[in-house]
Amino acid sequence: MSSAIALSSRVRPGWRWLWLAPLVLFAVLIAGTAIGETSISLETIFKVLANRLWGAGYAVDRIDDGIIWNYRLSRAIVAACCGAGLALAGLVLQALLRNPLADPFLMGISAGASTGAVAVTIAGMGAGALTLSAGAFAGAGLAFGLVLLLAQAASGGRSSQAAGAIILAGLAGSQLFNALTAFIIAKSASAEQARGIMFWLLGNLSGVRWDDVVLAVPVALGGLLICLWYRRALDAFTFGTDSAASMGIAVRQVRGILITSMALVTAVMVSMVGAIGFVGLVIPHAMRFIVGSRYTRLVPASALAGAVFLVAADILSRVLVPGQVLPIGVITSLVGAPAFALILVRGMRKR
Amino acid sequence: MNFVRHLSMVLWLLPVAHASADAHASAGASVYPLTVTNCGREVSFQSAPESIVTIGQSATEILYALGLADKVKGTSVWFNPVLPQFRDADAGIERIADNDPSFEAVVSKKPDLVAVQYELHVGPAASVASRDQFNELGISTYVMPADCDGKDNNATGGDGTRTAAFSSASIYKGITELARIFDVQDKGKALVADLQAREAGAIAHAARLELPEDLTAVFWFSSPELSTDPFVAGRLGAPGYMMDKLGIRNVIQSDEEWPTVGWESIAKADPDVIVVARMERRRYPADDVDAKLEFLRSDPVTREMTAVKRGHIVEMDAHAMSATMRTFFGLEVLADALSTMSFEQ
Repeated sequence: MSSAIALSSRVRPGWRWLWLAPLVLFAVLIAGTAIGETSISLETIFKVLANRLWGAGYAVDRIDDGIIWNYRLSRAIVAACCGAGLALAGLVLQALLRNPLADPFLMGISAGASTGAVAVTIAGMGAGALTLSAGAFAGAGLAFGLVLLLAQAASGGRSSQAAGAIILAGLAGSQLFNALTAFIIAKSASAEQARGIMFWLLGNLSGVRWDDVVLAVPVALGGLLICLWYRRALDAFTFGTDSAASMGIAVRQVRGILITSMALVTAVMVSMVGAIGFVGLVIPHAMRFIVGSRYTRLVPASALAGAVFLVAADILSRVLVPGQVLPIGVITSLVGAPAFALILVRGMRKR
Repeated sequence: MNFVRHLSMVLWLLPVAHASADAHASAGASVYPLTVTNCGREVSFQSAPESIVTIGQSATEILYALGLADKVKGTSVWFNPVLPQFRDADAGIERIADNDPSFEAVVSKKPDLVAVQYELHVGPAASVASRDQFNELGISTYVMPADCDGKDNNATGGDGTRTAAFSSASIYKGITELARIFDVQDKGKALVADLQAREAGAIAHAARLELPEDLTAVFWFSSPELSTDPFVAGRLGAPGYMMDKLGIRNVIQSDEEWPTVGWESIAKADPDVIVVARMERRRYPADDVDAKLEFLRSDPVTREMTAVKRGHIVEMDAHAMSATMRTFFGLEVLADALSTMSFEQ
């Protein structure tokens, strides 16, 4: 973390162009609405949007209308919210834990969500009443609670050790829940189930509708507002908890609020669209290079970049292999892993 | 219905009629040692097996239909309740597992033969045990040809990929070979004749309906979540066969047995008929046929589909959508359902 911050402590020229970001987000949302499995003309897309947004009254095919408005636009908005939420969660965790490798999945949240989803599907828990998403949310919450308890027990309440303890606790939690997932799959998965589960574990936005938008938008906005509210505290945390405390920040309270809220944001996003990796890890690093290390800029920049990145990844997942939708996690990891390697190598060399 | 379609249906029925007449003739006794080539392997029998364990409902029901229930020591991999006519016979037989049994659970029944519906259970990447592992213990294995003739079960895992369209001949072949292995050839011929008659009857029924030439359909099995990409039938499996025989075009053109296809693509294709699977299993919310119907009628896109608006939705036993004896019953269900629908614009 410190090396990444040192790299980008001054204001980057990219900051000047940040006002363009909402336009970029808008353009990406339109692209996400225009590009899909089937081809629908641009004219039809604008007619549908004009009808729905301004009541223009153009005659359009009702199935085209439904696909564009109910399937694609809702999907693009949820993708944007998930990207923003996961990027913010990564940003906050990296600051609080002072570890450049920290991301939401380090906390065991993803592993727990996976176990919950698999348990619901394969073990038949809930017998249809409980959906994959509900199982994932319960699993994420359980895993996160266990990781926090373990970290607290390990650090003995000493704040100097808490950051390290939570990373190790997250690692242990991830391993435990990954093992449970493997156990349940090995116990009784058929080929059909394994395929359904695999698709979910790698992220999937195909089932997203407006109901999900109603949940995703407030959660993402809430996460953004909390991060903006505590932006100065986040600045202080990057110099360590002792420095933050000396600057008059209620360290334990602020850290508790930030970690809990980001875990909640992650759990909601993961339960909606599956386990999408690398967004929380890569986007904050990329934004530090562009806008610098001040959280006043990093918070909105990371949220916007995360949103744009995930909508773009979702578009790629739909067009890369004709006639087949790839799990979005495959795309984010294919882009994220090399980007991460680059960050690692550059960071180590500058050290 | 145009002339070519009528003619092709009549031509198709000729060999069936011939075979049906032939089947009623008495069959000779099996000669042991008997060797059959089954899914690329030679399987030899010194005498008719005395005890059997089944992995797969299809193999189980065919053995029951051949009057061999008293030799079945255990069953496994069930999708739906047993056919009503076999309920009494099945009640006295141990169900080792509803899903995949363990190798030891199968072996502990000391079977002479393990009869298998899906190659994935005993194939190279076996989920129960490989055929070699059974052979090492002196246990023969027989895989229903419907799951390996014209099908690659090794390339991609999952449910396998059809390399050629499913043919009803593979079901008849499985019945005939099992009848030979157990020396009940008369029963095998009678069963084949009965199924062939039902198959021909359903096809003739559909031919009389004078269905539109460009009729299209989609078969929806289930989905991991209700609104997410559903598992639908590819063009070469048992549902593909049903559509082909009744003169319907599958809007899904994949060679996969059960590909996942987005609702966007299905809605754009706007099939005339939607066939939904009915099953007892409740692992996914979409396993429930009522949940499927509710989704189709309430989702803002699917409710605009022609088939949903006109009520052209057919409920079919999920097991009939697999390559099994029940495929022919599914064919009858579909033909009967089509007879109640109007396709005039």
